[in-house]
Amino acid sequence: MDRKVLKQLKFAKPKPSKRRMPARSVQGLTPSRRPRKLTEAFDPVTFSVLLNRFKAIAKEMTLTLEYTAWTSILALAQDFSCAIFDNQARQVCMADALPIHTNSMHVVIEEIARVFADNIADGDVIVCNDPYSGNTHVGDVVTACPVFYRGKHLFWSATKGHQLDIGSYIPTSVPATAKDVWQEGLTIPPIKFYERGKPREDVIRLYLANLRYRDWLYGDLMAQLGSIWTGRKRLLELVEQYGPDQTMSYVDAILDHADRRMRDEIRSMPKGEYIGETWIDSDGQGNTDVYVRATVRIGNDRVEVDYTGSAPQTAGAGNASNGVLQAAAGAPVLCCIDPAIPHNDGCLRHIVGKAPKGTVCNATYPASTALATIVPGDPMQDAVWKALAQAVPERVSAGYGRVHCEPVLSGIDKRDGRNSDWGCMLFNGAAGGGASPVGDGWPVIGTIAALGGLRILSIEMLELLHPLAVERMEIEPNSMGHGKNVGGPGVNIVIRPDGEPMECHLFGDGASNPPHGVLGGTPGIGGGNYKENRTTGKRTFCSAKGHLTINPDEVWVGISSGGGGYGDPLEREPGRVRDDACGGIIDLETAREIYGVILDPDTFAIDEAATAHARTQIAAHRGALPLVTPNQPSAATWLEQHKRPEDLYVLDPQ
Amino acid sequence: MRFVVGIDIGGTFTDFSVVDDRGRIVLWKEPTTAREPARGVREGLEHLAQAQGLALQEFLSRIDLFVHGSTIATNTVIQRNGPKTALLCTEGFRDVIYFRDGYKPERFNLNMAPPVDFVPRHLRLPVRERIDYKGDITTALDEDSVIEAAKTLAREQVRAVAVALLWSVINPVHENRVKAILERELPGVPVVLSCDVLPAIREWERTCAALLSAYILPGISQYMQELENFLRANGLQRHVLFIQLNGGSSTIDKVLRKPIYALASGPAAGPAAALFCARREEVSDLIAIDMGGTSFEVCLISGGAPTLSKRMRVHEMPVGVAAVDVHSIGAGGGSIAWIDRGGALQVGPLSAGADPGPACYAQGGKRPTVTDANLVLGYINPDFFLGGRRRVEPDLSREVITEQIARPLGFDAAEAAEGIFRIVNHNMVNAIRAVSIERGIDPRGYTLVVGGGAGAIHATTLASELGIRKILIPRYAGVFCSYGMVVSDVRHDHLKTLACNSETLDLDDLNDLFAELETRARAELSEEGFAASNIKLARFADAKYPNQIHELTVPVPSGHRLTQKDIREIKESFHALHERMFTYCVRESPVDFFHWGVTGTGRIRAVDGHELPRGPRSPARALKAKRDVYLGNTRGYVSTPTYDGARITHGMSIVGPAVIEQENTTVMLFAEQILRVNKFGDYVIQL
Repeated sequence: MDRKVLKQLKFAKPKPSKRRMPARSVQGLTPSRRPRKLTEAFDPVTFSVLLNRFKAIAKEMTLTLEYTAWTSILALAQDFSCAIFDNQARQVCMADALPIHTNSMHVVIEEIARVFADNIADGDVIVCNDPYSGNTHVGDVVTACPVFYRGKHLFWSATKGHQLDIGSYIPTSVPATAKDVWQEGLTIPPIKFYERGKPREDVIRLYLANLRYRDWLYGDLMAQLGSIWTGRKRLLELVEQYGPDQTMSYVDAILDHADRRMRDEIRSMPKGEYIGETWIDSDGQGNTDVYVRATVRIGNDRVEVDYTGSAPQTAGAGNASNGVLQAAAGAPVLCCIDPAIPHNDGCLRHIVGKAPKGTVCNATYPASTALATIVPGDPMQDAVWKALAQAVPERVSAGYGRVHCEPVLSGIDKRDGRNSDWGCMLFNGAAGGGASPVGDGWPVIGTIAALGGLRILSIEMLELLHPLAVERMEIEPNSMGHGKNVGGPGVNIVIRPDGEPMECHLFGDGASNPPHGVLGGTPGIGGGNYKENRTTGKRTFCSAKGHLTINPDEVWVGISSGGGGYGDPLEREPGRVRDDACGGIIDLETAREIYGVILDPDTFAIDEAATAHARTQIAAHRGALPLVTPNQPSAATWLEQHKRPEDLYVLDPQ
Repeated sequence: MRFVVGIDIGGTFTDFSVVDDRGRIVLWKEPTTAREPARGVREGLEHLAQAQGLALQEFLSRIDLFVHGSTIATNTVIQRNGPKTALLCTEGFRDVIYFRDGYKPERFNLNMAPPVDFVPRHLRLPVRERIDYKGDITTALDEDSVIEAAKTLAREQVRAVAVALLWSVINPVHENRVKAILERELPGVPVVLSCDVLPAIREWERTCAALLSAYILPGISQYMQELENFLRANGLQRHVLFIQLNGGSSTIDKVLRKPIYALASGPAAGPAAALFCARREEVSDLIAIDMGGTSFEVCLISGGAPTLSKRMRVHEMPVGVAAVDVHSIGAGGGSIAWIDRGGALQVGPLSAGADPGPACYAQGGKRPTVTDANLVLGYINPDFFLGGRRRVEPDLSREVITEQIARPLGFDAAEAAEGIFRIVNHNMVNAIRAVSIERGIDPRGYTLVVGGGAGAIHATTLASELGIRKILIPRYAGVFCSYGMVVSDVRHDHLKTLACNSETLDLDDLNDLFAELETRARAELSEEGFAASNIKLARFADAKYPNQIHELTVPVPSGHRLTQKDIREIKESFHALHERMFTYCVRESPVDFFHWGVTGTGRIRAVDGHELPRGPRSPARALKAKRDVYLGNTRGYVSTPTYDGARITHGMSIVGPAVIEQENTTVMLFAEQILRVNKFGDYVIQL
């Protein structure tokens, strides 16, 4: 922890905190926020130790889940998050795993606490994946256990893990073509899997009976339980050491500290109303460019993100739950504040997401929300980013690429005498991150929902675990937005099934609506995917949602977008442009036309005089640079540049 | 008389510890000769031989165990001053090191820039070939593509090459062939293969290990070979053993084939030294620090066992092998003080090293260092630096501090020097916080164990800032890591892969495997001079549930042929370990095994365990003189007693303020701090 924190503490007198009502809209429960009496003055060192101890516990929960899980989506890609809540369901600490999870987990824990109220006991484990009970989407399964110390409920230890399967009608837990909650798979409203330390084996059997790959998913369930039990064990050690009263009074101090710092951060932003707009590629049912609009209102000590004006809810699976609404509103705002501020309830309570019921940003039962964390979650975040670019351009990044080359692959593994179903959610084709005011973007950033929290799979692990061969995974040149700082480049990935056909279910977005540029930076290319027959050369292009079968004589090719650029390309140092060109990340023509940098085609030496001249010429002949671009739907360029007349294009194939 | 020798080459000093067969220990310090590291070692050894009254030949021939460590590899990587290095990869996969694992450590920090690659993209060249997961060749190696790459590398004047091809871990034939071609096309350029350095699945980790190895290799191979040749030519009968980042040791020959193991080599011995002294003071929770000339290392040890971390990273690159969990920053006696563009006083990470060294060395160093500040403050005795072996000029220290720090900031020299002292302390406090408070561990219940030539000057201040109440300063603090090398057992791991399942495995295969590994382990240690009675072998296995992805290491019963009963026992210990670490296990499940291994330990003789007779409580006998020492801005310079470390005996008790001067280190004791001397001659300070 930094000195600033300690200094603040020194001056903060221990006093009963003035609590406002929770700022966010919560369905159902508003937990009592009666101030606790503080038992003693805070010792700054104990404060730091406890603040970091909660972090260390959340981290150990994370390691437990990662190390013991049985599928690659949890054990390798780490599509899960862990957090600790107090007995009022206030988030005390989260491992900064996936922002879409951690900025919304309070919504589902509050609902679990509301449903069971006093009917919880030591040794209970509660599971929930119901997006209409505060969860994000049906693929995310929440496990939570109350932590009791000498009969008193003090904490919740909780995880949220994305399952490889949840029993949908097609072999993916993110079925882009689902039309309602019943096509998505098994819905689990808050229910006890363990009661007073005993497993409810009938309930667990019911759960597993509904899933594909249940032998693997049993291991994943146990990993999620091991994680919350690890959290419980460590929390109890902590309470044993510091005593329940002192521990809980420090929890208050930890939340107050974040609350104060968050309030100061918001006060440092210019008050006002800022609007950002974007479009979802399609709804999974053949309707394109679904409108999303965010109005960001920066007030005195809170930020309201209002999605009024967005499209009505769609007939497909890309609708938001309340969990996703809160996370999509919150995550971009947290990126514009000092990252050292702990992301707990004290901080989160300053951000509210709202949207009229029945819209794509806040769906009504029984609409499907199977893709919610990605679609519309990613575009919803994107719209907030665009609005914040007007408020605090020096604190935002350019647009991050959305998910459009990260399919769920499946099939039958017949290698070496096996005959088993296999499935894999593959993040390796991820798009690039946006450029920031101080540096270039990161590559393979996963999703906006994850902001780099997902891991890609080792090619070797992938080929060992599944019947496929990766033929290429490299940077796609010229795929990123240009600017003073450039977006992380996109990926060119080619996968061939090994022997048997491979089903490829795509569930994303952003192939036709690319990541935006900021302050003169340009957008990424968008991107796309297709299958190619190795014998006939026939290519079938597919939208970012839909289903392709890849036969043994075919390959699947994904080209993802690079992130958006930040700032004027003419301000990029010629030496960096040369390095990009020399490495083949951009071509000489791009260096010349966009950056005005003239390079020797053999040695890549910079022609200083010609460069100065070219830059003057470009500056003289262009108009004012846009703050944010694009501001119209379907602005991507990749498809029209790469699709040949004889190629097929399919939109949302079932 | 026979000897055990430990030598640690640091950034500034080369430290020596010699133990004879009566358990007596001799320490020595020699400035590191950065451009020719073997020279400092030669000169030190000549001195030590002389001190034993022996010719160098005679002394070397009487050495039973020669252990060596160095921070040269680490410094190359940290300062990124290695040679121009290239990487050859499978066609279609030249961005493995750039994509990394797709993970951004700080999600919400938009200003975190992606790491800068060790090899720029135009030096990552594709080779046409492909091997599948079974090891079958699906695309034969196109030798022309290798030759073409070699031409580019020659044109670019690359000085080291790493080769990391997909699935080389299962079938190394293409990597080996690429190496042969490169050696022909690029004579004199070292080539490192990923299958040699880290034979493990997962291409990113393996590529990084190969790349870092290639980057390190030219810097260490020359001096290591020179050193070994010199020693063997002058009578050393044993191999030089090199301390590796996991605390185990290996021969020079083997380290040069896996240079990644040379990272963090010296500091890996620090925790062993700290533990050795802590145990006899009956302390098991400790924070071991080591402040030398260039860097400051800290390692937190709970319950008497240092931890190995598999997640060690250098510049966000995984090292891929387990390493002693030592945290390192650039803070030492040689750390340079400077004023940044914003007008703030900064100290380090740049170090003046041994050459030119601090300004006070009068070797042409023109920049103020921590050592210069300590001289100005009176903490270091100018007439007793390195026991009086090195002349230092406090006037030069005062001059550079005045000119470069005091005047621009509007201070006097003492205030500026104290500023330097405080800032370097602050940096070290933050490093200690990173391994304790930031992991949720309260350091106030821990003992600070202090090593390094500069450590004891700062330790009392660090402890009081952190609320630590007990400090232990071993008598050998000044040569901490080299001391760790002579008090640690020698350890080698031997590994073999045999994928099998607890229900179906073939016991004969397994017993054959262990017989082979144990023969190898025993032969290695006995070649190093360990008698059979001092060799201990322990077996282990990497196990997991069949569908699980990550593994745990479990012990395997040793000393006999394995039976079904043993397999049941291994299974049970896996379940138990899984439950202990992760709160649950799946007892009805079978268990899969992948790697099997044997750890060979060569036990070394006990060192200097005899207790000293208790002497008088009063330190009057050891009192040397009084001199002016700066005790903070309010008190200024105060006449303070100084004591001769050589005359301090068991039972003495000294109350601060005081300065204790030893040949290789100085202890700074402030007001109200009490130092006592335990029966082993180590200092214990209570705050």
